[in-house]
Amino acid sequence: VITAGVDAGAATTKVVLLRDTGIAGFQVRSSGYHFLSVADTIFRDLLAASDIRREEVSSVCATGYGRGSIAFAGSTVSEITAHARGVHFLFPEMRGIIDVGGQDSKIIVLEGGRVTDFLMNDRCAAGTGKFLEYTAKSLEVPVELLGDLALSSRNPAGITSMCTVFAESEVISLRARGVPREDIAAGLIASIAGRIVSMARRMGLSERVAFVGGVAKNRGMRDALERGLGFPLTVPPEPQITGALGAAMTARGSGEKKSSSGD
Amino acid sequence: MPPTLRSLDFFRDSYEIRVAQLKEERAAGRRIVGTFCLYVPDEIILAAGADRVMLCGGSADTIPVAEQSLPRNICPLVKSSFGAVIDACCGGTLACPHVGLVDAVVAEATCDGKKKMYEILPSSIPTCVFDLPQKPESPEARAYFTSELRRFGRFMEDLTGRDLTDDALRREIRSANETRRVLHRLFDFRMQDPPPIRGSDVLRVMQKQFFLSPDQFREGITRLCEELEQVTPAPRKGPRILISGCPMASGNAKIAEILEGRGAAIVAEESCTGTRSFWDPVDEGGDPWKALAERYLGITCACMTPNEGRIARIVDLAGKYRVDGVVYYTLQFCHAYNIERLRVQQALKGEKIPLLAIESDYGDSDREQIGIRVDAFLEMIS
Repeated sequence: VITAGVDAGAATTKVVLLRDTGIAGFQVRSSGYHFLSVADTIFRDLLAASDIRREEVSSVCATGYGRGSIAFAGSTVSEITAHARGVHFLFPEMRGIIDVGGQDSKIIVLEGGRVTDFLMNDRCAAGTGKFLEYTAKSLEVPVELLGDLALSSRNPAGITSMCTVFAESEVISLRARGVPREDIAAGLIASIAGRIVSMARRMGLSERVAFVGGVAKNRGMRDALERGLGFPLTVPPEPQITGALGAAMTARGSGEKKSSSGD
Repeated sequence: MPPTLRSLDFFRDSYEIRVAQLKEERAAGRRIVGTFCLYVPDEIILAAGADRVMLCGGSADTIPVAEQSLPRNICPLVKSSFGAVIDACCGGTLACPHVGLVDAVVAEATCDGKKKMYEILPSSIPTCVFDLPQKPESPEARAYFTSELRRFGRFMEDLTGRDLTDDALRREIRSANETRRVLHRLFDFRMQDPPPIRGSDVLRVMQKQFFLSPDQFREGITRLCEELEQVTPAPRKGPRILISGCPMASGNAKIAEILEGRGAAIVAEESCTGTRSFWDPVDEGGDPWKALAERYLGITCACMTPNEGRIARIVDLAGKYRVDGVVYYTLQFCHAYNIERLRVQQALKGEKIPLLAIESDYGDSDREQIGIRVDAFLEMIS
């Protein structure tokens, strides 16, 4: 059986093809304006690249902010459940997930792959990838390099504002005072990490925690989180695709359910 | 999906009927009192020969007017209510017309937002504020509250020019208890699985409890109960949910709509627009003033401390209504309910009942974000 999972996220869209034997292929691309057309293009490209015909895919499940607009998906699932299933597939021993995406950050508590509690921050950009993207711009550094830059800092600057807009003005005044770029970068990372650490503590996470989402690719961020939490994090080789992977796993079950309930 | 209930039409269409009635009463010389809170005993107002109407705002429309005078980061219920009052006083068009029909406001010292709002109500509206001891367990607190209720009674006598007799008060207590019994009957239907009525429908009915006259309201609920005896609900799909937290004033059904839109079956509300308004009766024997003080001080608003009664009530309701999860709803900046969440959460955790906390205002901008959390919560407890 082959199924597909689409994670139409705020910043990027991810598609995963899943076979019984494991992941058959995946792609990650910027979400663009139209969730559906981007997802559709990725899906077609991925099928071609994986040498799988559309008819071979028994069902498609969508997750992410744009999941409602993915017309070719037969079912949908929330990001929380999707990440839980994806992470459990990759690392069955995990007890928690920290997901920092483009538009929100989430803490998920797991018990045997099932979600038992979760916490989301999505009311503003604080504690999200957007914060890093925005403030990296004010440092004139590509966001991908922000983490490495931060790692070279020996004296991180204090950034007190959680608000993205105010943090940018702090960055500008630090620049004006001649504070080195790497110290400001480290300060930005520390500020967002502090927020996520307190969310994780509130949910009682302690060890066996996976760090996923686009921001998990940021080495400096991972480092700051591990120091704040006091235990190492597990980062999958492709931390952006756990949601789409979980959706593809959900599609395995929903194919049968759909035919029996008839809706 | 629960069936369409024809007896709900009355509640939906009752606004004009009630406003016309209030206008008629007023023209005939009856005084109308505006209220904002469950702690104001209806019985005292009615026994003095006046009528009453609840003024709590649940609409976002009147908030911009209020924000000309009030800070933005305070409770939306206070802003919405205040906006409606000042707009009605300046002849604005946004406010509900019934706000302009009140001769006086009777207010209680509950939360900071409301207390400070009462201080700045237009001087054209006579306002009686009575005190509310917020550590209500002691006999001294009850004695003091009794004296405050008597003072409120004298205010009512002055307003109506009529004597407020103990007999009249006992009559109103019996009448209000009858309404409470009828509401218990309505809520008992919701213990069934599947529930025969939608939570959002019950909410819209409860929002009329202190707007309609007691007779109109009781008759409407009785008709609804009779209809519910006849219906056979279709099988339930989503999990059974108890909503617990802040009031949802008329105009605000956002959380109920989101929950039902995502497949939940709301089976009870522990709130001012739910069980808190009717659960406990007033003792019909003995001194009516003491009985009122006893019952009304027992209301488990989060302004009280330590408020153990509320925690116990939530756990009790979760069991009685066989809920799969609790949605803890708070209005933004409502510190009392927001902080009390932690103790509710701990108590429910002990009972292995999952809780989803949602803090929101009257705007629509967070509907999708709340929906995402609700989806995840419903998946988690299904």
